[in-house]
Amino acid sequence: MAETADTPAAPPSDPLTERALDVLRTAHPEAVVASELGGRHPWIQVRVEDLRAACRLLRDHDELRMDCCHLISGVDWPEAGEGGEIEVVYHLCSFQILPDDAYRKRAEKNDPWVALKVRVPREKPEVPTVLDIWTGADWHERETWDLVGVRFTGRRELRRILLPDDWPGHPLRKDWEYPASYHGVPIIPPEGL
Amino acid sequence: MSDQGPDLRSGGEPEGAVEIHEHQEAVSRDVRTEEMVFNMGPQHPATHGVLRVAVRTDGEYVRALQPHVGNLHRCVEKIGESLPYYQWVPYLDRMDYLAAICNEHVGCMAIERLGGLEVPERAEYIRVITAEVQRILSHLMAIGVYGLDLGAFTPFLHQFRERERGMDLLDHLSGGRLLYHYIRIGGVKRDVSQDWLDELEAWLADVERRLPEYNTLLLHNRVFQERTFHVGLMDREVATRWGVTGPALRAAGVDWDCRRDAPYSIYDRFDFDVPCGASDIGGEVGDCFQRHWVRVREIEESLKIIRQALAQMPEGPVMGRVPKGFKPPAGEVYVRGENPRGELACYMVSVGKSDKAWRARCRGPSFSNIACITEVAEGQLIGDLVALIGSLDIVLGEVDR
Repeated sequence: MAETADTPAAPPSDPLTERALDVLRTAHPEAVVASELGGRHPWIQVRVEDLRAACRLLRDHDELRMDCCHLISGVDWPEAGEGGEIEVVYHLCSFQILPDDAYRKRAEKNDPWVALKVRVPREKPEVPTVLDIWTGADWHERETWDLVGVRFTGRRELRRILLPDDWPGHPLRKDWEYPASYHGVPIIPPEGL
Repeated sequence: MSDQGPDLRSGGEPEGAVEIHEHQEAVSRDVRTEEMVFNMGPQHPATHGVLRVAVRTDGEYVRALQPHVGNLHRCVEKIGESLPYYQWVPYLDRMDYLAAICNEHVGCMAIERLGGLEVPERAEYIRVITAEVQRILSHLMAIGVYGLDLGAFTPFLHQFRERERGMDLLDHLSGGRLLYHYIRIGGVKRDVSQDWLDELEAWLADVERRLPEYNTLLLHNRVFQERTFHVGLMDREVATRWGVTGPALRAAGVDWDCRRDAPYSIYDRFDFDVPCGASDIGGEVGDCFQRHWVRVREIEESLKIIRQALAQMPEGPVMGRVPKGFKPPAGEVYVRGENPRGELACYMVSVGKSDKAWRARCRGPSFSNIACITEVAEGQLIGDLVALIGSLDIVLGEVDR
C-alpha cells in the first residue's frame, strides 16, 4: 500500500486509480485485497468472487465509465502463495471520459487506464468471465486460457485461439516443457532457452 | 486441428428478418433460400493474410460468422520471456510487419520505462519522424489494398510509387526494407544525415502533391462511394465494447488518439488534428467509407507532424546510456502507443536481477479490431463482408503474433 503522502520519496498517486479505488471501497468494502496507487503501474487487486461486480461498477460509474477492456493478461507466479498463483490483470480504459490537461502532463503515468488484478491458485485457476460486460474480452480470455491456462467460467465455449486445439499444456506457464514432438514432427527447443 | 469444420454459434432458425439497408433492397426478401456454411480463407485474397472466416449464409446474406485465427502464431510472448530484452526488439517488428517502426517504438518505450532509461532528445525526434513516415507508408498500403479489395486495381499500383520511395528512405537509415530494427533500447541505431533529411522533404512534398490524385481515384469516386457508404456500420457503442481502436474507432465518432490524449514520446510538442467520423463527410458515421476517409486524413496529419518535428529537431547524440547487461529493477509497466492500425500496448513484468522479462505481453490492435466482425457483419451481404474486413485494415501477423 503506497498511501504515504507525507514522505517526500513516495511517488504521487494516480488520480484515476485513486478514484476507482474509492468507488470500489464504497460499494464493496470487502472486495479490495491490495492496491498500489503510485509509480509507473498503479493497480487494484480485488477478490476473485467480486471481480464481476467490480468490473460492472467501474464500467457503469458516472465518473469512470470504463467502457473498454483494453487487455487481459495472465502472469504465472509459481513461487507465490501456497503452491503458486496466477495473476490475471485487466487493463481498462474509458473512451467516454477523456483526461484533462493536468492529467496528461503527469510524467509518471499520463495514460488514463486502470489496472484491476485478481489472483487465483495455480491448481485451480478459475476466474469468472467478463465477456458479458465487455464483448471484446472474448478473444483476450481465450488467449489467456490458451497460453497461460486460466479457466474462465460462466462463458460460452472456451477454446484455444492461437495454438492448435490438441497442443499440450499452456506454454507461458513457467513449468511448461517443450514436447518431444507434435504429430510426428520433432520439436527442438531453441538453444539456451 | 480438430476444429477444421466450420464452427458456428448454433443458431438454428434465424430470428426474424435481417435488417437491410435501403440500397440492398434490390435483392428480394421473398426468395426462399437455403442456409449454407462455407469457409472464406485461409487462402483468400480479401482476408489480407491467413484469416479463415466460417460464414453461415442465407442467400446473399451473412447470418453468422466466426473468424478463426492463429495460423501465423510465432510465439512472440514466449520469445519475450526467453530472450534478453534487446534481443526481443527485432521480434516486435515482425508482429505488424507494415508498421515495424511503430512496434519497435512502443516496445522500446516499455523496456526503457521499466529500466528507467533516458532517451536523448534528438533520438526522440528521429523516432517520431520515422514512426510517422511508417504511418504514411502503412496508410498508403491500406488505401491501395482497400481499392484492390473492392475491385479497383489502379490505386494499388499508384500508391506503390510513393510507398517505394518511403521504404527506400527507411532502408537508407536502417538497411532493411520492411523490418528495420532501427529503434533500439535507449535511442536509435544511427543518426540521420542532411542528405537523408533533404530526401525526406522531397518525398513529403510528393506525397502531398499526389494525395489528391489518389482521392480522385477512390475517395471522390462515385463507384467507390456507392460501394462503401452505409456498409459495415459500427457505432460508437459497438466499437468501444469490442475494444476497437485506431482509425476504426475514430471513424465511429470517438475523438481519441493516444498521440494527443495520452502523449508518449514527444507527441505533446506537435500541433495536429485528430480526424473523426462525422455526418457531413459522406456516408454515415462508422461505415467503411469513413474508416477510409480517416486514414486519408491521417496521412495529411502525419505530414504536418513530420514537418514540425524537422523544424524543431535539435543536434545531439542519438543513443542514451544503456548499461551493459541491462537488468531493469523489479516492477511492471503498461505502455500504449498509437500504431497505424490502432493501439499497441505492451505489458511488461520484470522480477529484477534478470536480463529477461518475466512476462512480455503485447496487445495487437488488429487482434481486437478483427474480433468485432462477428457482430458487425451479421445481416450484411456477403460482398460487403469483404468491404468490411478490408476497411478494418488488419495485419494477420499481429493478430496471431
